[in-house]
Amino acid sequence: MSASTRRILAGAATGALLLGLTTACGSSDSSSSNGTVTLRYAIWDAVQKPALQKSIAAFEKQHPNIKVKIELNAWAQYWSKLQTQIAGRTAPDVFWDHVAYFPQFAQQGVLTDLTPYIKADKLDTSVYDSKLLSGWQQNGKQYGLPKDWDTIAQVYNKTMLKTAGLTQEQLSGLSWNTTDGGTFVKALQKLTIDKNGKHPNETGFDSEHVKQYGLALSSPNGQTDWWNAATQNGCKLQDKAWGKWTINQPSCVQAIQFVRDLRLKYHVAVPASVTNTPNGAALPAVMARKQAAVVWDGSWDLNAYQSSMKGNFGVAELPAGPVGKGTVYNGLSNALYAGSSHPKEAWQLVKWLGSEESQKIIVATGSVWPGIPTLNKDFVTVWQKQGVDVSAFSKEAGDTTIGYPLTTSSATYNVKVQDAFNQVWLGQQSAQKAADSVNEESNAAVK
Amino acid sequence: MIVNIPAATRPPAADRGHPSAEPPTPTDGERHRRRSRIRTAVEAYVLLAPSLIGFVLFLLVPIVGVVVISLFDWNLMGSPHFVGLANYREMAGDSEVWRAVRNTVYYVVLNIPAQTVLALLLTLAMNRRMRGGKVLRVLFVLPWMAMPVALGIVWNWAFDPQNGVVNQFLSLFGVDGPAWLSSTAWAMPVLASVNIWQYTGYTMLFLLAGLQAIPESLYEAADLDGAGPVTRFFRITLPLLRPSMFFVLVTNTIGSFQMFDTVYVMTQGGPGGSTDTMNFHIYQQAFQLFRTGYASALAMLLFALILLVTAVQVVYFRKRTVYDFS
Repeated sequence: MSASTRRILAGAATGALLLGLTTACGSSDSSSSNGTVTLRYAIWDAVQKPALQKSIAAFEKQHPNIKVKIELNAWAQYWSKLQTQIAGRTAPDVFWDHVAYFPQFAQQGVLTDLTPYIKADKLDTSVYDSKLLSGWQQNGKQYGLPKDWDTIAQVYNKTMLKTAGLTQEQLSGLSWNTTDGGTFVKALQKLTIDKNGKHPNETGFDSEHVKQYGLALSSPNGQTDWWNAATQNGCKLQDKAWGKWTINQPSCVQAIQFVRDLRLKYHVAVPASVTNTPNGAALPAVMARKQAAVVWDGSWDLNAYQSSMKGNFGVAELPAGPVGKGTVYNGLSNALYAGSSHPKEAWQLVKWLGSEESQKIIVATGSVWPGIPTLNKDFVTVWQKQGVDVSAFSKEAGDTTIGYPLTTSSATYNVKVQDAFNQVWLGQQSAQKAADSVNEESNAAVK
Repeated sequence: MIVNIPAATRPPAADRGHPSAEPPTPTDGERHRRRSRIRTAVEAYVLLAPSLIGFVLFLLVPIVGVVVISLFDWNLMGSPHFVGLANYREMAGDSEVWRAVRNTVYYVVLNIPAQTVLALLLTLAMNRRMRGGKVLRVLFVLPWMAMPVALGIVWNWAFDPQNGVVNQFLSLFGVDGPAWLSSTAWAMPVLASVNIWQYTGYTMLFLLAGLQAIPESLYEAADLDGAGPVTRFFRITLPLLRPSMFFVLVTNTIGSFQMFDTVYVMTQGGPGGSTDTMNFHIYQQAFQLFRTGYASALAMLLFALILLVTAVQVVYFRKRTVYDFS
């Protein structure tokens, strides 16, 4: 296929498919006559935007000839938009990258290999957590610098926990099993109250009119809900990195069934009709409405809880499952678009966002755990000052963790799992059936 | 839209105020007429040019593009691979596609009859002089002027199972409303009702215009013949509304087949794929799974489907008599 044919196809496709579906995303020429360059920087998390703006203000001060425009698109639209922008050659100069989509981008050549820049600037990459740094490598090339890391933990309402006579230590020390739910379900029963003040383990409990639930779970892909339970049950999600999905194995299905039981059998978790993605209430909103006492959520949402609960929240470890403790460990990077017309300036931004100086600014806002591990303690201190002990996240990072699945089939998995598992949580499909269908369809898309 | 001005309605060339101090000789006149005919054509094309360019650039080129892309395997980023009719073969055996077709037809069936009957009833109610009639008319059309995405978000709140106004209203009567958008049985009717609510006023506008074009004398004659209101409606109003009805049905049906925004905002095709309509499925294949070729093939299927249904409507309406009172 010749380049010109491809260009015609690209033009026609973006015209045809974008016209009715997405709003026009005009690409403006980013350099002006006085020599200032405007870089576009795409992110998907509104909660992190204020922190980034602080870092970027410092960057702009150091580089008076560079302006940075943040383009915020929610996770649900982020990848659709980015990929169409790449097709139309109008992608942002720098953008947040995720391991779910990184492999395909690297293969397609839309990311800039940073190795020559790193060498030229003699950048010391040993400051980063090696697990995070190597996550952005492919065939000896470096496609991003670690921006942050995250794990999942239990965020709880302090008042509710106290009222139920529970402590943070107790919440961190719970365990679950598939026969009677274990101490985890018992604690959640204490935290679940119907309109008459009864708990789910008492006779006369009205499961249709629950005033306060023990737990709320929500995730478009499993990262903040059943992947954690799966890890705690010895489930691996994949046979190996880049391999086949194995989510229909017994250890995985049992975990999925347990998460389903929390809602439908034990009645201790907020019904799926309220929390199912993409249109359900977000977890910080559920907590703000006092609908649940505990949620499983990622460290990136801390500032959302801070703004809605004003310090009345704490962080405890996830429970242990039949096999032990476990959570999902992941992180993001900043990628440099290969089609950027200002690669030198864009590299300055990537370098800055990966620098200790910038990550210090981010850490000071309590936004996300840094990609540079020596700053972890600063993050703990920042939250201690707000009265919140966030060490559960880092404690879990040191325990058994599972990385975000590495696969070329993320897009298919993400589309299939959302609808199928929403049905499981609603009780309209069995855990086994949903796991089988998602597993089969995702494996068919593995390249 | 391109409007073809019929020759008969064009002002005759001689009437166009050319400086004619001395009456032209016959041969001069002929030359004159030919020249002004050319000039008229040029003027027409100049006036048509903007919409013609728009039509070619934003409609014809993309349509041809979709036809071509449907023969390729392409993820928007890498090189497209020519695959011939493979996308169409895959489509034939893809149960999700046929579910999407069924869902779309179900949506159209829920939407169009209810919307048309409601609009007709509204039209009859509004077609009289009454206090506040104009205000009401504006109110009915307002939903159509609002942004569908914003409306979808508002309706999402309204249908929230626990905090939504719909279920709170039902609870006043002791009814426990369902979790509307989480129910495979209710989700599609909810989407249809949102669209009915949105477009009924708009449909009413066209029917009202049609109704007011019916000569009063016919009703007077019917009165003399002793026809009751039911007879008058079925013998005069309904037959004479046929041109408006034709327009409204054809455009609304096409619009319903192409419904996207409400699904996108309210359900994303869920729960359990029960609201996965054709257009949403095309979007998902193209922009979430990045299968542009396959999505284009699906777009061709939707196009064929709409063409077929529209053709049936045209044939149905054409064989009926058209009344002309002009």
